[in-house]
Amino acid sequence: MERTRAILVDITKCIGCRSCEQACKEIHGFPKETGAKLSPTALTVIEEHGDKYVRRMCMHCQDPACASACLVGALKKTSLGPVTYDGSKCIGCRYCLVACPFSVPRYEWTKLVPYVKKCDMCSARQAKGQPPACVEACPTEASIVGWRDEILEEAQRGVLLDPKYVKHIYGSEEAGGTSVFFISDVPFEKLGLTAAPQQAMPPLSAAALGDVPTVVLVGGSLLAGLYWISERRNQVAAEESRQIK
Amino acid sequence: MTGTRVPKITMWRAIVAVIFAAGWYATYARFALGFSQSTHLTDRQPWGLWVGLGTLCGVGLSAGGFGIAAAVYLLGFERYRPVLRTAVLVSFLGYMSVIAGMMYELGLPWRIWHPIFMWNRHSMLFEVSWCVMLYSTVLSLEFSPALVEKIPWNGLRDWYLKQQHRILIGLVLVGCVLSSLHQSFLGGLYLLTKGKLDPLWYTPYLTTLFYLSAIPAGLAVTVMALYLCVRSLNVKLDTGILSELSRVIAPMIGLYGIFRFVDLSSRGAVSYMFRWREETFSFWLELGLFVVAPLVLLNLEKVHNNPQRLYWTCSLVVMGFMTNRLNVSITGLQASAGIYYVPKWTEFAATLMVLTAVVIAFRYAVIYLDILPKNAASRWMVKEGVA
Repeated sequence: MERTRAILVDITKCIGCRSCEQACKEIHGFPKETGAKLSPTALTVIEEHGDKYVRRMCMHCQDPACASACLVGALKKTSLGPVTYDGSKCIGCRYCLVACPFSVPRYEWTKLVPYVKKCDMCSARQAKGQPPACVEACPTEASIVGWRDEILEEAQRGVLLDPKYVKHIYGSEEAGGTSVFFISDVPFEKLGLTAAPQQAMPPLSAAALGDVPTVVLVGGSLLAGLYWISERRNQVAAEESRQIK
Repeated sequence: MTGTRVPKITMWRAIVAVIFAAGWYATYARFALGFSQSTHLTDRQPWGLWVGLGTLCGVGLSAGGFGIAAAVYLLGFERYRPVLRTAVLVSFLGYMSVIAGMMYELGLPWRIWHPIFMWNRHSMLFEVSWCVMLYSTVLSLEFSPALVEKIPWNGLRDWYLKQQHRILIGLVLVGCVLSSLHQSFLGGLYLLTKGKLDPLWYTPYLTTLFYLSAIPAGLAVTVMALYLCVRSLNVKLDTGILSELSRVIAPMIGLYGIFRFVDLSSRGAVSYMFRWREETFSFWLELGLFVVAPLVLLNLEKVHNNPQRLYWTCSLVVMGFMTNRLNVSITGLQASAGIYYVPKWTEFAATLMVLTAVVIAFRYAVIYLDILPKNAASRWMVKEGVA
């Protein structure tokens, strides 16, 4: 598999300065006001949980539920790692919002021509070798970016060597693995990072879709067979009644 | 008759007028003001009443057509032929209502054609969209003779009817497969909600359960439609066929009930059936209306041989079915979303208008086309000028 990019967020290092939020807003041309939650004009936000600051954003799953849900293929896992959205294909069904195990995508409910909004890990910048705007803006290296395998290794090393860390990397197993990782010194449930299923989501519906050819073939031939039998029965009955006359 | 007639104001006409006035306002709100002014949908509840009621129930309750068509054409049960056109008409109008509902539901409805050219075969919704397109076409072709036979040009009419008859069996067969897939896939949409949808409803067998519940619900709608035709549209029909249909509905519901319980117990979800939660109440309401009550009632001679009581029993089946679809699409997702979604009145108004349009279209189709055999024109029909 090709090497992909990933972001590591170390919650113990975040000071809540919101530089990442502002950098994200600036690069997208969104209004500067900060809110408490993700919104169509805040693709990453700092949530406060007690004295901890938790940055929320798209997790960029390795096998994204949204991309498998999207009927027109507007959402894609790119070879570099980011999950991107092509608004020109979108029909506005919002199945991606239903499917996302982290409830990340946002919809422009107030607009007459509404689109889905979510972080794309600055896909265009990364293709040019630049870091995502949020990571670049972080003054404490609470967010860092790198190759996914290296980043994951670094996270594992940090968690193992330093006893303060919870012995789990959020994102390593969740939804089958993501491209955004969190490490923390308090349990993830207390940070609003809920326990998403520890498996990739798309195979859940792929199993049912895989049955289709069988259902069509078996069901179709069964029905055709039943039709043939009932037709034959009618023919025989007609023939018999003719002979009796 | 001379001059223009001023339509008399009756109670039903007044109700229809109110529904359409509210529906038109809802339509205006949806397209001129947007989702935030016409719905209570949020990022936490991205699919609401229009999907839960309009699409899931609309498609499910349209399952009667393929059931009866299969019985008559493929299995040779000639005794159902008198009600075939009614069942196909109900399904056809049901699918039209689903497509109309999508115009409200989709954020960018003018791009509804995108799935024809932009494919994602890993998407359950992609398969669903193709089922809607193909099966609507099949239903139109299946129903078309009822319209075409009224064409005054003999040559064209006979040519079309002959061609239609040649492909009819193929149509019915393809329709059965498409409809079965469509019913199942609607449940399949929720397979991706693992971890969000409540254990009372989330199961890998959502597809099977949606399929098994749609057929009896679709037949129940057919019974209701037939009863209303006999009651108020001057139709000549041996009501014995209603009892006959209900004899099929009961075991199908029983099969669904058994499958549902086996599924719940094999997943270890039985304990959820008795926890003191709001979901538990919705679950029992669904099960009571869709499984328990109909199974008891349909086996009573008193109900079985009485069209009116059958009608009310079938309406329980339909209500239970709707509760199930709304539980999967709304109730079962509330806890994980951490919100409480109550649809805005405009959401109800738009759905109600589409439904009313279906009822009106059905009524005029039965009056003007040869859907069911008719008695001699009754007095009110002559007076109203429909006969």
